[in-house]
Amino acid sequence: MEQILATTLRSAAPLVLVATAGVFAFRAGIFHLGLEGLMITGAFTTVAVGDATGSVELGILAAVGVNLALSALYWWVIGPLGANVIIAGLGLTSIGLGGTAFALGAIFDTRGSIFTDVVLPRPVRGITSGAGVIISDLSILVWITPLIVLAAWVVLRRSRFGLRLAAVGEYPFSARSAGVNPSIVRLQALLISGSLCALGGAELSVGALRNFTENMTNGRGFIAFVAVIFGAWHPIGAALAGLFFGFADAIGIQSQINITERVPREFVLMIPFVLTIFAVWLGGLWRRRSLEAEAGYAELREPD
Amino acid sequence: MTAPSRSAPAETPAVRCRSLGVSFGTVQALREVSLDLAPGRIHALVGQNGAGKTTLAKVLGGLQAPQTGDVYIDGRRIPPGDVRAAQIAGLAMVHQHFSLPPSFTVAEALELTAARKGGRSFFRRSELHRQWQNEVAELGGPTMLSTRIRDLPVETRQSLEIVRALAGDARILLLDEPTALLTPAAIDQLFERLLRLRDEGVTILIVLHKLREVAAVAETVSVLRDGELVLGPREMAEVSEGLLSDAIVGPAFGTDRTISMAPAVKPTQETLLELVGLSSRESAFELGLDEINLRVESGEIVGIAGVEGNGQRSLVSVIAGLAPVAEGTMRLGGVDATRTGPAGRRQRGLRLVPFDRNTEGISRSAPLWLNQSALRLVGRHRWRLPLISLRQYKRQAAEDMDTWRVRYDTVAQPAESLSGGNVQRLILSRELSPGLEVLVAAQPTRGLDFSATDFVRRSLRELRDGGAGVLLISSDLDELFELSDRLLVMYGGRIVARFDAPYDRRAVGDAMTGAQR
Amino acid sequence: MTGGLQRVASTVVLVALSLLLTALILWVSGYRVGDVFSGIIQGAVTAPGAFTSTIRWAIPLLLIGLGVVIGFRTGFFNIGGQGQFYIGACCALAVSLGWREGPVPLVMLCGTLAAVGAGTVWSLLPGYLRVRFGTDEVLTTLMMSFIGALVLQYLTAGPMRNPSGTGQTAASERIPDAFRITDGSGVSATVLVLVGGVALLVWLLLERTRFGLSMTLVGRNPTMARWQGINVSRVGLAAFALSGALAGLAGAVELYGPGARLVTGFSPEVGFTAVVVALVGLLTVGGTVVAAVLFGGLQSAIIFLPIVTDLPPPALVLLHGMVAFLVTIRFRAVRRPKTLGGKAAAS
Repeated sequence: MEQILATTLRSAAPLVLVATAGVFAFRAGIFHLGLEGLMITGAFTTVAVGDATGSVELGILAAVGVNLALSALYWWVIGPLGANVIIAGLGLTSIGLGGTAFALGAIFDTRGSIFTDVVLPRPVRGITSGAGVIISDLSILVWITPLIVLAAWVVLRRSRFGLRLAAVGEYPFSARSAGVNPSIVRLQALLISGSLCALGGAELSVGALRNFTENMTNGRGFIAFVAVIFGAWHPIGAALAGLFFGFADAIGIQSQINITERVPREFVLMIPFVLTIFAVWLGGLWRRRSLEAEAGYAELREPD
Repeated sequence: MTAPSRSAPAETPAVRCRSLGVSFGTVQALREVSLDLAPGRIHALVGQNGAGKTTLAKVLGGLQAPQTGDVYIDGRRIPPGDVRAAQIAGLAMVHQHFSLPPSFTVAEALELTAARKGGRSFFRRSELHRQWQNEVAELGGPTMLSTRIRDLPVETRQSLEIVRALAGDARILLLDEPTALLTPAAIDQLFERLLRLRDEGVTILIVLHKLREVAAVAETVSVLRDGELVLGPREMAEVSEGLLSDAIVGPAFGTDRTISMAPAVKPTQETLLELVGLSSRESAFELGLDEINLRVESGEIVGIAGVEGNGQRSLVSVIAGLAPVAEGTMRLGGVDATRTGPAGRRQRGLRLVPFDRNTEGISRSAPLWLNQSALRLVGRHRWRLPLISLRQYKRQAAEDMDTWRVRYDTVAQPAESLSGGNVQRLILSRELSPGLEVLVAAQPTRGLDFSATDFVRRSLRELRDGGAGVLLISSDLDELFELSDRLLVMYGGRIVARFDAPYDRRAVGDAMTGAQR
Repeated sequence: MTGGLQRVASTVVLVALSLLLTALILWVSGYRVGDVFSGIIQGAVTAPGAFTSTIRWAIPLLLIGLGVVIGFRTGFFNIGGQGQFYIGACCALAVSLGWREGPVPLVMLCGTLAAVGAGTVWSLLPGYLRVRFGTDEVLTTLMMSFIGALVLQYLTAGPMRNPSGTGQTAASERIPDAFRITDGSGVSATVLVLVGGVALLVWLLLERTRFGLSMTLVGRNPTMARWQGINVSRVGLAAFALSGALAGLAGAVELYGPGARLVTGFSPEVGFTAVVVALVGLLTVGGTVVAAVLFGGLQSAIIFLPIVTDLPPPALVLLHGMVAFLVTIRFRAVRRPKTLGGKAAAS
């Protein structure tokens, strides 16, 4: 039981961080399929720079920097240059997956994975027995994650910036009529999103583990994306969904260990995807009905 | 600027614009519009659909940058297309389409859109509510602050838009067709509110298109027609309703108010299209139909007059088979077609020239030949090889387009490269193809130049003379008078009046605008 | 310059730009770009067996890519090719293993039909949700794709696992050799005729039938298509079904051709690369054939390259990413106002 709890927390933390990143993008109306790519560049850069400098803080800083640059590029391509959000997002994911795996070979002259000595600090120490052992193995990012989620909630729901962001995503006309430039707000959202992806990736590589492996995100960026949908674009909802998917992952891992388990691991892993299809379907139904009720929103879908 | 100062003609106008020009592609939306609005008064701006009213309002509000001309507020020039600058100068706008995001609570929406200075970046909900409770006090209790915009009734939303607009201490209020979605009672309330605001010294410019409403609230009136200011701000006391409706719809050809024309020959009295007690539900953007009865016989043009937004779009959609019928029957060629799908109706000789040429009539990015051939793609064809010859399609399309004198370089060019008149010719070349029994033409000449307009009108007349039936929906009275054998007027989703030639312009205009005298 | 030429030119420029950027990254990383490019030419064309290998990798890209062409042309972003491909392969495998004693042509026919049917179903579910309820198809096809990958993983690790298999990745049992239409090279006359025939059929459908033209119209402007009496839902469902069927077929070809067995997570990039291929091919059949060979060549070269240089295969994924990232950029020669004519002028 404790085992599952620990595994859940460890699996969920990166998911929750990246899901929070997704919430920012979604709220601004960007269907961000590049999360996976930004997550893995975050994981890699943390390890690469952390290893080179011996400082995990510098590693994370560099990861944030790289992701800010990539996010700005993404914004430039889908905004001013008018590329397709979805295709360019998937492209960003491939750039991340391919680029990090390539850089692994180019910089470390190795394929597969590298181990690193840098690791995120574990703030809870000194517990050597009992149920507490498991939490002593959690990195500082796991502990900070709830705070980040809370901060995201405050920014999105209790700040003028959050209101502008939501207006841009939902109804750009209202933003423009309030004198807000939707394009700039989208850039801001993407930059925040990129930084959070960097943290999620860092937790994966130097928090839960001490290595970087090719394709180590293994679809987590997409699961986080799913968590956003499932959490109804709400930071708390997305975080809970991320937690739930982390739990499903933990059970999956557990059932793999426990061969007598009836349900194959793959079916457990399918849960998020199946649930998402239902969530999108029902969510769409609900949204359409409320759209039909809108009178006078002719410009709702107006591009800007 | 606190006290109302209504009788000082020499003072600086609250809003002044000089030779504003805006064009969208080939369409000139505003030409050389210059306008001065005296402070502390209610000014009305009227005009037909497409006359440029919304464009003018958007330019004044900073949402649309003009290509030429300047806007001054209280004598100071405002940088073009800058919403913030206009807001800071004290001008606030209430949009035709609501501007508050539907999922926001009232408090959030107000906080988002209010141009108030010195607000804090972060807030607490209770704080937000405290801040806004005075503003919404007369709309509903403090509970309404946490209501979502989409759950509010239309009138409340409208009032909220005004609250929002005035929250930043605006001294000039711009309202773009605020009455379009309101009930008569709500309109009265709105007007009372505007009068109160006027007494507090707020300058108001209100875009309207019902003369009754203009008379009820405005002190001066200006008229736009085809992007031009045809009647400067004139005191309401100086203008008659007749003068206004003339200015709105344009001068009649000749001085006589009634136009007579020779009745068309009707070879056979076959009913081609018939609607019996037809009703439809209202959609999000358009009134539903309310027990429409009409028939179009062979060899006649039946005109539908009316101010746009009175159910004409629903009428065309229902006839096309794209909107569900709630009650009643539709017959095509005497046979019930109420349950026939759009493709089946086309097969039975129904042809359509839809309202929105560029979105419903053509696919802008598709090549000309594909646009031209669209009707050939549907329905059952006599058995033959499923493969078609593109060359034949293209040749046929080129032939048809040549017949209709569409000007183009190659049949492969995208339809968006055509001018408005050529697009309409393209549509006609497709719709007026063999098999046509009855044509429904919605605003077929809107935005076209003189020769294209003439061409379309001649085509409709020839069609009628050839024995087809035409249902012509237009907001151009001259066109309707010139072409129609019979004229019906739509108002509020129903047919409120029927006229036979010769038409009394004033009577038709009254029926359209709901004016009573 | 006409619109078509301009689009071809801009795509060529963008693909070249992606290559250039990737080359730049290689150069910065200390690779000798000249060696890499000559290695690509060797690995894709000139080395013995290289061109065969190029075609072998082009085939699944082409089949799935044609499905993408159909979907995108009709205006639907069916990006679940990977899952439809996997499910198709799995069903063909199930039929072939379950009925391995049966008459060879019949079993293969059933296996292929099962693959096509499964791919269709996998795609129709999101398709139905889309046309009936307006459910966003990008997300649902993506989810179905992940589910498909997990089904493959489950089957190869569980019920269909080759018990005597060695190695780390789980793999299924091999199908009898009699069922195979190619040797390990993955190319044979049968396959070429089959794939060529399919491409021709898709071309005929899209360019030479009324239904295909309706698809284009629906994709360009569904509102106008509705006004013209086209049944937009039916056309949309057909597009989903066809693109799923093609991806399923690609799965069967992979199994009966070069694969002979299924390995967990085989050809992991093919679904996404097929989207890139279709976009680079400008959503035309001819263009997609060219793009499929191009990307097949890159795939072939990347397997060959380590022999020449020590370039790691992920460089290819990076390149695919670059192309996808940039290829949908539209150079707008003339900036037009967003709303035109009636709508903007309406007041």
